[in-house]
Order: sequence, then C-alpha cells, then structure tokens
Amino acid sequence: MIARSLSGLLKKGDRVAVSNITGREASKVSTISQQYCGNVVAGWALGKSGKWVEVPGETSIPVFGQFDEMLTQLPENRWPTKIIVYSPPDAVYGDVKEALENNRGSVRTVFVITENVSIEVTSKLRRLADTEGVDILGCNTLGVINVHDKVRVGAVGGDSPNETFRKGSACVISNSGNMVNTVASYLQSAGLGVSYGISTGKDVNILTPLKDLLALAMRDKRTSMIVLYVEPGGVYEAEAIEAIKGRRSPKPILVYVAGEFAESIDVSLGHAGAVVDGAGTSASGKKALFDDYFGVPVFDFYERRKAPKLLAEHRRGIRVNALHDLVPAATALMSALKIKRDFAPLRPLALRPWFVELGPLAKVLPRDLVPYVAPIPEPYAKLVKHYVTSSIGRVPSRQPMRGVSHASSNDGATPRIYGRSLIGLMKTGSFADTVLLYWLGQPVKHTFEARLFDMCLMAALTNGPGTISAQGAKLSASAGNGPNTAMMATLGSIGTVHGGNGSKAARVLINVFRDTDLVDPYDRAAAPDLDALVLTFVKAFKQRKKLAKEAGVAYEKVPCLGHPVFNTEAINYDPRERVIDAVMGEEKLYNVFLDFYHRLSRGMMEQCATSKVHAVNVDAALTCVLMGIAWPLLVDKKITVERAVDLPFLAFALGRVAGGAGEYLDHRDSGTAMDMRVPVSECRFLGRDQD
Amino acid sequence: MGAQIGELTFLEVLASRFKIPAPDFVVEPVRQSDVKRKLADWGSGIVKPDVLAGKRGKAGTVRQVDDYHEAVKLLKRVAAKVVSGQQPRTAYMVQTVPADLEVFSAITYNSRYLAPSLTVSTKGGVDIESVDEADKVTVPLNVFRGLNAYQASEALVKAGLPEGKLNSKLALCLVKQWDMFSATGMQSCEINPWRVTEAGAVCACDFKATFDENNIKFRDLGFELPEYPTMVDAFEEEMNAWAASSHQGQAHVADLGGKLILPMLFGGGASTIVIETLAQAGGDPMFLSDFGGNPPYERMKKTAEICLRHKLADASLLLILGGKANNTQIDITFAAIADALQEWVDDNGPHPIPVVIGRGGPGLVQGFAVMKKTLENLGMPYVFFGPDTPITLVASYAARLAKQCAKANGGAK
Repeated sequence: MIARSLSGLLKKGDRVAVSNITGREASKVSTISQQYCGNVVAGWALGKSGKWVEVPGETSIPVFGQFDEMLTQLPENRWPTKIIVYSPPDAVYGDVKEALENNRGSVRTVFVITENVSIEVTSKLRRLADTEGVDILGCNTLGVINVHDKVRVGAVGGDSPNETFRKGSACVISNSGNMVNTVASYLQSAGLGVSYGISTGKDVNILTPLKDLLALAMRDKRTSMIVLYVEPGGVYEAEAIEAIKGRRSPKPILVYVAGEFAESIDVSLGHAGAVVDGAGTSASGKKALFDDYFGVPVFDFYERRKAPKLLAEHRRGIRVNALHDLVPAATALMSALKIKRDFAPLRPLALRPWFVELGPLAKVLPRDLVPYVAPIPEPYAKLVKHYVTSSIGRVPSRQPMRGVSHASSNDGATPRIYGRSLIGLMKTGSFADTVLLYWLGQPVKHTFEARLFDMCLMAALTNGPGTISAQGAKLSASAGNGPNTAMMATLGSIGTVHGGNGSKAARVLINVFRDTDLVDPYDRAAAPDLDALVLTFVKAFKQRKKLAKEAGVAYEKVPCLGHPVFNTEAINYDPRERVIDAVMGEEKLYNVFLDFYHRLSRGMMEQCATSKVHAVNVDAALTCVLMGIAWPLLVDKKITVERAVDLPFLAFALGRVAGGAGEYLDHRDSGTAMDMRVPVSECRFLGRDQD
Repeated sequence: MGAQIGELTFLEVLASRFKIPAPDFVVEPVRQSDVKRKLADWGSGIVKPDVLAGKRGKAGTVRQVDDYHEAVKLLKRVAAKVVSGQQPRTAYMVQTVPADLEVFSAITYNSRYLAPSLTVSTKGGVDIESVDEADKVTVPLNVFRGLNAYQASEALVKAGLPEGKLNSKLALCLVKQWDMFSATGMQSCEINPWRVTEAGAVCACDFKATFDENNIKFRDLGFELPEYPTMVDAFEEEMNAWAASSHQGQAHVADLGGKLILPMLFGGGASTIVIETLAQAGGDPMFLSDFGGNPPYERMKKTAEICLRHKLADASLLLILGGKANNTQIDITFAAIADALQEWVDDNGPHPIPVVIGRGGPGLVQGFAVMKKTLENLGMPYVFFGPDTPITLVASYAARLAKQCAKANGGAK
C-alpha cells in the first residue's frame, strides 16, 4: 500500500476528479461533495468537454472530454490527487488505465464506485495500480470520509454527511457502504464520533484488503477504536488478524459479522463477494476467527456488566451478535480500556416511531407492540410539518422525465391518456372531459363538471378585439404570420395580470380553505362558516393594505375581484360570471368557492376595505369551477397544490388561444397589410433629443 | 453466484474448442445401437446425470456399465432421478478411462492474491475439500500474462509429480485450461480428475465451472448455455429475469420459504442484517431482497409489483426497511412502491395487513408523506420509523408484530 497513514487515503487539501461526472449518480454525488467540502476540482466524460456541473452556492465543476485533456487544461496546482470512478462497468478498466498512464505523478489514490465490474477487470486494476504506484479502493466502494478534516470522496454520508458523522475516535471500516453511515450513527449513542469512515466494497476482490486498512488504522493518532462490519466471503479478515496478532498493544476492535443465517440455506446475499469460497470464509468461520483473536466470548447484552472486566484483561476488543449491541459493547470497551468519550452520548437506541396508525389492530395487540409516537428530530420535524401534516396536496416525487410520462403513452397501436385509450375517449367522451382527464390524471367525478368547464372555456374565448391577447393575434396577422404564430402571439400576450389572475385566486382559495374540514365543495350543508372566513380574510387584507400604504409601497390586491369594464355601479357584476352562476342555480348546484367570492366582494365593502361591491370577474368564476373539481383531489393528495394553482390559467389560455385563432382568421381575411401599425403621427417621444 | 456449467457442456463444446483431451461420450436420448457400438469400442462406460451438483451430491447416481442393455436402462433412469433436490437436464455416458494417477486442477480468482490462481493436487478424483491442505499447491497467476507451461509444470512438481514427459503433457493441458478460463470469462473452473495413464495419456474426466456474468466475454460465448431445470418458484424466476434485465438499481431476491413477512429491503448490508434479525426473532421472512442502488421509478415499481403479485396475499406483514441511504431517492422508491400497492389493492381488493417502514436518506419525508397517504387510503395499519431507530430494532419489532398477527388466527390478514 502506498499510503502510510489513513490521511494518505484522504485529507484536507486533496483534489478530487470524477470520471463520467455527467452521469446521473456522479453529478448528484459530486454536487453534494462540493457543497460539503469543495474538493472536486474537475471531472471527465467522453464527449462532454466544455460542460460544467453546476453546484448551487459553490464553485461549479468543469468537465473535460478525457483525463489527459483535463491535466493539460488545469494548472498544475489544480491537478487531482484522487480520482473517483463512476464509469459504466465495461468502461472502468479503460478509464482507470487512461488516467494512470497520463497521471504525471499527481494521482495517489483511485476509488472505484462502479458496481458489477468483472472479477477479471478488478484483478487487472490491482496490478495496474501496483505498477503505477497508486492505491485503489473498490470496486463498489462508496468512498471514504475523513471527519476531522471534513472531507469525503464518494457518497459516504449521503446528502447530509454532517448529520451522521461527528468528529471522534472510532474508525469505521465496512464491507457495506450503507453500514458506514448506520454504524456511525449508532456510535453517537455511545458518545463515540468517527475519525474515518471507509467503505471497502464487497466484490469478490476487495482491492484494498482489510489487513492494509487495519495497519493504517492501528497507526492513526486520531483513532482509538476500530469498528468493523464484515460479511462472508474472502480471506480478508483471516489475513488481517494474522497481521495484527503479533502486535504488542493493538487498538481494540469492535466487530459485527453478518450473514450466518445463509449458511444453512442455499441463498446468495446482496453483495457480489458475499459468497463462501473456502474454509474460514463463512460468517461462522469469521466469527470464530474474531472470537479466538479477542479471547472473550461474543458480547451478551444481559451480561454486559461483566464485560468490562474481561475486556480489560484481554484488551483486544469484542464481537457483537446484533448491530444495535455495538452501543453497549462500545461503552463497555471504552470503560474497560479507559478510552474517553468524544462527546456526551446522544439518546439511547430505542424504537422511536414517527407515525403510528394500527387501527382496530391496536386493541388486540399487546401494549408493547403499539408504540407511542416519538418526537421527530430536526431537520425532519420541519419537513414533516411541511409535507406530511400539511392538510392538502400530493407531495411530488421527482425523477428525470426525459422520454417518460405519467400523462400519456403509446404502445404503437393505441395512444393513451393516463392509461385510458384515446380511441375510447373519442367514442364516449367530450373534449372537456378529455382535457380534464389530461390535466387531473383521472376522470371527473360529476358529469356537470365537464359542462361547467366547457362554459369556462367559452367564457375565456374573448372579451372583444381590444383585449391585449386579441391584439396579439391581430398584430401577428397584420405582420403576415401564419396561424400558429398568431396563436403563439395570443398566448404571448397573456400573463399574470391578464388571464393569470386566476392562479393567484386559486392560491388565495387554497390558503383560506386548507385549514378547514372542507371535503366536498358542492355540499352546501357541509360548507365551513364562510362569513367568518371572509371576515378573517378582509381583516388581514386591511392590515396588509395599511402597512403597505404606511411604507409607501404597492399592496397586493385581492385577485379576480373587479373588472376594468364592469365597474361603474355600486354593486357590479361580470356578465360571464353571472351566466355560470345562473346555470349552476338552475341545476341546483352549489360551489363553496363561488359562494365565498360573492360574500367576499360584499364583505370588502361592508368592512370598508373598498368603496363598492366589485364584480366577481370571469377569472374568479373560472377559478371557482376548477377549484371545485380539484379540491377533493387535493384533499385526497392525488394532485399537487401547484397543479391546482395552474389550472385556472391553463383553462383561460386554452379558451383564449381559440379566441385568438378567431381574431387571426378574421384579420387575415379582411385586414390590410401592416394595418395594426400605429402611425408615426400618433407616436410620442417622452425623452429629450441628444443630438 | 454466476452461471454454472457441468461436464456435459464441457464435452460437447469447450473441450474440442480448446483442444483439451476428454473422453468420448453419448447423450440421452440415444439409440440402443449407438450405445452398443460405443460400449463395444470402449469396453465400459460411466453413466452420469447432467446436473449441477458436486461429487458428493451425485454419489449413487454415477454408475459404471459394460452391458448395453443395462446402459440404456440406466441412462433413462438417471435422467429422471432428482439429485440433491435438482432435476437433471439429461443423462450421458462417458468412456471409462483407466488411470494410474488422478490429478485435481482448479483455476479461480483468489481473495488472498487478488488475482487468479491455479490449485493442483495429485490426490484428485475425490471431493477436493476432503483432501489435506498439505496435498494441494496454489500459485498466483498474473492476470495479464496468464499461465505458462513452465509455471504449470513447477506447480505439478510441488504437488508431487516429478519433471518428465508426463509432467510436461499435463502442464500443457493446464495451460489449455487457463486459455478456456480466460477466453470465456470464467470465475472458477475445476477439472477433477485429470486421469493419467503411465503411458502418458491424459484425459479431463470431470468438470465444473462458473462464469462471471459481469465479464464481457461471457456475453459472447458463441454457444447457448444449457438450461437446467430449476426448483426456483415462479416468483424467484421472474425476479431473477427482471434483475438481469438492467443494472439500474438492484432487484435481487432469494427465496427463503418463509410464511410471515414480505420484506422489501434496501442495501446489500442492511438486507443481510435485517433478514438475520428477522430469522433470529422468528419473523419467518418470505425472501431476502436488496432493492437499493437508487432504482428509477419504473424499475422500483415493477420490482414492487412482482413482489406484491406473488407474495402479498399470503403475507402477515409488509416490511419496507433500509438504513440511511447515500444515493437512493426515498421519495422515488416509496412513490413507486405506494403506486404498486395501490394497483394491487385495486386489482385484488383490500388487504389490511400491517406495514412497518424504516428508512433514512434523501427525500425521506416526501417519501413518507406519499406512503402514509396511500396506506391510509388503502386502510392498511402502519408504523413508520425514521433513521433515529436502528434497523435491527425495527426488524425485531416487525417480527414480533407479524407473529402476533399470525397468532390472532390470521386476524391481521
């Protein structure tokens, strides 16, 4: 091994380069590493030269096409000392070879993260590394973390390394990447932090075997205890114990050996190398090996008070049979060998359920099987409040969406919308039904909803040729554009204050009703106390208005109340809203949101927030109709709040773009070229001539 | 464990391709007249089942015959007889090769050398594990240069076969064995025994090998691997095919035959520990699983869909458990499992068994939110644990809960 100390594997100041850095996992992990410790100087990926991996709040990472190009382009003091390999399995050998052959003496350690690398390639990597004089970890390592220096390579610690790893004196060496984290978090309950967390990988060939790592850990000044997670397969532990047997005062080892259950049955474990391949390589063989070395029997929780005496006598460590016994065993070991705690132990390991709902089962179960909900630690508690206890809306799960869709599919024969045949929809449904299916992910519950939506689309068609969206279509036609451009011009002429106001109204309605028990917006009897909601809303509005006026800044108006045309009376109405309201009345339909809006427009005047009753405009009506359809889905967490907020704007845009098409057709047929141009004589310059 | 082959595939394909001397043979079904002719030429033959079991496993089914009537009967009988719980693919008869010496040779990757190694013994012909370590010689090989005749000869000398014509001939055979091992992407390859006559005839008389499925050479062998009848159930078979279809995210399962807990586990280490804990605590898990490795939504959903379709109806408890993930997006994996669960209930009706969940990692709370809502919609009781509860404690709790539910006369089911 080239490294003479654990810090030789990774320390502050080491510069890291990442192969295949633009890949899904590599770019994500590199971004988090860069935010955690800023040690990633560059990456390389064939054909990606000139790209950057953006790192929010930190230096972005440049990407080169090849390793040699990277060294040529980077100044010498930025050359990497470590490389992490995220290349696909078949490219691993070539990428490592290329890097080491063009190394120029810079790289000292290679970490191969890639899984499913062939054994032949791993053997070649070992020889290659020996020839080139570098250390190599992996394959299928998760990486290494040096906690005192606050640096890592690979993904040890996941997306929040600070949460799991506190500075301390235990060196964790694990065959499983995930177990590095898990063991480190357990040890906190014993008051033990971590000096180094090392994931060896568990392929058939572990390229840096335990004996080498153990030798470094034994020499490391920051390490006072070594904690091992071991799986069956390989002679690594036998070699390691053989190597340390002769030491006069070896550092104590705490070990957990997994996988004995598989010995009696013919099953393969998760890791490729966890395969028994000879005497002493089984879990039971390794357990016996460690027990023999320690000279003490396996840790027994119920006899834990006796452990320190035995441990003080033999001083080599102890094995545990259950992973959570690491904590009492570490405590016993520290007590026996007078090892100081790194910090006050965190709360003891115990069952701490975050959510419990056992229903009727709870009544028939013994009490110890119905655990009480425990306090949720930060930062999770805040997130739980936001995502889980928040009353409405689906929490979105994100993934790369290139070429995939929940909304549509086509198996080569049948196009589908959310799994429903478009052909079938064409035969039995309507345009409005189908658009709502596409927008909501499921068919509407009530037949009247499609009818109301249809009316909304009609209402959105036009408000005369003077509206700026109609003007957009006319301007485009006047310039000689085709229909698609004119329709884009219509869409380009709507925005948050023209057409988009409905989305603001949707957000208002969600905020007003989210803490009520409202489930069915069409049930008048179950409606919450609307007058009380209006009063609360208006009071808050007045307060905001007052504060804004005092500060001399504009205040946020109530969206969708009032209209530039329909505003001349003491009590005003938008005729398009009236039609929707009237049809609902005739059909004996109730919509709690529209009712709220009507009461709000009156309440605003009654509470002296306005001087007249403003019209509930068509955007409000449209919003209330769509919110009526969306609300049960929000309550049921079937759709996101963001989707519900977008619906009114989408409906307006869909109606208006059809209206824009009408304006275009008319203008193209009857207009003259450039007739929308404002004559020079009518244009005024508001500045001062400078020449 | 990679793909395995036995002696018959070696005789049919590899021996001739790599010019390794091997006995003549016939394969059932075979005409009586052919058997008669072969036995007339050979003197006697040995009937064996084509099954992936070691010498000890095959004991009792391997028989020497010299009468062709008996041979024909035996071929049919052996082909139909289950050996160590496995159904043979067929049976075959090889020429009996007389021997004055039986040599064992194995080439395998060796964790001590982190390289391939050659092991030879002149005490071959028996199960090699029963041979004293002192009678075996293991030498590391340079993975780039391979095995040369000089090295092979030296190993044979150390094993007790003095230099000379015989040694040289066998050494060349070992080089051919290396060529086969290397050219086909094998992980291990054992010939036991090479039967050697004093006159210098060498013949490879039994063979087994395992391929490394990650080796690019294995993917282009130039022949189709034999398909052995397996005893794995439809679930494991479907999951194995699904696991092999992509490297994006793990989809590893191994049937344990349990009856109580359906475990969806994440992480190679965590899955091992959890199953061990469940087994110790009487949780009787149905299978071992590892679904970590940051599977994309579709991958995870199909994985969950297969598990639920085969096992959920019989389970007393669904356990979704993993450590604190480094890479795996919990929101993605949980959304996929939740959707698969929803679809299962849509198709099969309510199934209110308890669901125990323990997890940590990126997108955890969002994942919990999705799962919680789905379980509430489906009326399934649940207990969720975050990363502040050790997975082994969660596993012990799940085992006790499952036992209790099963005890209540399937009340939970």
